[in-house]
Amino acid sequence: MPTRTILAATGLVLVAVVAGAPFVLNEGFLRLATECLLLLTMAQMWNLLAGYAGLVSLGHQVFIAFGAYALFLTSGWLEVNPVWVLPVAPLVAAAVAAIIAFPLFRLRDAYFSIAIWVFAEIIGAFTMKSQAVGGTSGVPLATSELIDFDWFEPIMFWLAGGLTLVTIAALYRLMTSSFGLGLMSVRDNDLAAMSVGVDVQHNRFVAFVLSAAGCGLAGALSFMGNLFIAPLAAFDVNWSVYMMFIVIIGGIGTLEGPILGVVIFFGLRELMTGPLGLTGGWYLVGLGVIAVIVMIVAPRGIWPALRDRIGVRLLDVHRTAPRPAAASVLPSVSEQTAG
Amino acid sequence: MIWVETLINGALLGGLYALLGIGLALVFGVMRVVNIAHGEFMVLSAFCAVFLANLFPTVPPLLMLIPVIALSFAVGWIYQAVIVNRVVTSPDPLSPLLLTFGVSVILRNVMVEVFGADVRSLQVGELSRASLEIGGLNIGIMPLLTLVLAALLFMVLQLILRHTEFGRIVRATADRRDIVRLSGVKPDRVYNYVMGLSLALGAIGGVLLAVRSSFTPFSGAERLLIAFEVVVLGGLGSFWGALLGGIALGMAQLIGLKIDPNAGLLYAHLLFFIMLLIRPSGLVASKV
Repeated sequence: MPTRTILAATGLVLVAVVAGAPFVLNEGFLRLATECLLLLTMAQMWNLLAGYAGLVSLGHQVFIAFGAYALFLTSGWLEVNPVWVLPVAPLVAAAVAAIIAFPLFRLRDAYFSIAIWVFAEIIGAFTMKSQAVGGTSGVPLATSELIDFDWFEPIMFWLAGGLTLVTIAALYRLMTSSFGLGLMSVRDNDLAAMSVGVDVQHNRFVAFVLSAAGCGLAGALSFMGNLFIAPLAAFDVNWSVYMMFIVIIGGIGTLEGPILGVVIFFGLRELMTGPLGLTGGWYLVGLGVIAVIVMIVAPRGIWPALRDRIGVRLLDVHRTAPRPAAASVLPSVSEQTAG
Repeated sequence: MIWVETLINGALLGGLYALLGIGLALVFGVMRVVNIAHGEFMVLSAFCAVFLANLFPTVPPLLMLIPVIALSFAVGWIYQAVIVNRVVTSPDPLSPLLLTFGVSVILRNVMVEVFGADVRSLQVGELSRASLEIGGLNIGIMPLLTLVLAALLFMVLQLILRHTEFGRIVRATADRRDIVRLSGVKPDRVYNYVMGLSLALGAIGGVLLAVRSSFTPFSGAERLLIAFEVVVLGGLGSFWGALLGGIALGMAQLIGLKIDPNAGLLYAHLLFFIMLLIRPSGLVASKV
């Protein structure tokens, strides 16, 4: 059971690692690390919704696209360095999520999942039609001449690393708070949660908006790194596929799961498309096969299965139904919530 | 007059869309699973039909429907037995959703790698261009046949589910999976047949849609979304509602294409979304 001191010390070490990494790694590695960290943030956000609020989104690419387009357009209008308008991305994504939540939240389970996918398709189609945002051919980052390219890769990495650390720390705080406990009670049994006074719709709404905001910011950073955005890439359903596979393989409803998932995701990609010389299509097939096997063999994902076997707990906010075997887990959570 | 023609053609297209939706509705109705891979299985059946048509160029391409339907039934049976049955009783309603989504990603990318990402279609020669002239309106024979076929299939399906022993078993399993065991029914076995039937129906829709418009390995998502919209618009569990939902979507799409030629499915999606806002229970109130 990690105490606050251990967590704080680990956090400080990680901050130091992120700060120092650009001086050690070469540019290719740095870019790969940035990509990993951004996808990890997106996966954590998808996990916040699916693993804790029980809402599976197959249309989360729409928030990535909104965040990225918001950054590109605002930076172009105001003619300022894109880094300074980054806050626009999560705000726009959150605003869209808050509006779209009203029709979507009438739907449950698979209906929610597919309706948000349809919403993403509609926005994608309108984006391709609208010449104001570049139509099908997309837009380059208009203010790219304001960027200092000597420091571009390190800055991107620092932003991605900072975002990842803040996200994980914030999610840990959130999940050990009473809000997080309420959220998880809604996921497990919304009737029971309601009967003890948890505001189900409110909790879901907050998780949805937070998740959209995080994806918007990570998406904006991701496309800012490319200096270019096109609708086919921004509204690609594969964003949701990646987030889902990372979370499912690593461990849904845990904070450590997506970290393990990202390692497997990129490890497999580098292995299959590198030494094995396979195409991206076969890589996705391989990833899909692993995900399907994990879902059948260990439905909660690899991390929870591993954790139960070796007994290691890192960022544990997990609690199980009150069975005798789980008795040792319960007090620790109530301790955290009380504290 | 041109608008009347558009509406009629939209209604005929709707018959095809209803066919896409009915397989999805059947599986959802019986086992409460939305099979996200439904679209990919439809595209797979279209690839099979194109492959067979190239293999036997002398046989009329539409006759390829027969082996493709049989194959799809077998694939569905195996898919359910090997994969879906493992999560169908999971207490977490998200498990089947995530699992079938994973399967759809696998299928899509295997198709990309095996068949390539080229645009294809199933050529049926003269039949695809033949049309009837009724009172100055130009009505395609192929779409007309499709709508008739869809209505017939719905009727047969309704009859099977209402009046045969298999139908009674399926309905009983859908109602109480645990209780039917007392009568010696194996629910998993029933699910295998239902998934086979669902993919066989999907194959009919998939092959006929491949005649009407071209497809790529990526078309599965589009087909799934249409199928899903048909089911939701029609109201859950209502076959005739699905037909109505399909017709509404078909009309919306063709009217949209008249206004805006490169709209694709945008207006069908918009209709679905607007209906979701004003009438979440579907066009036809659902009966259980």
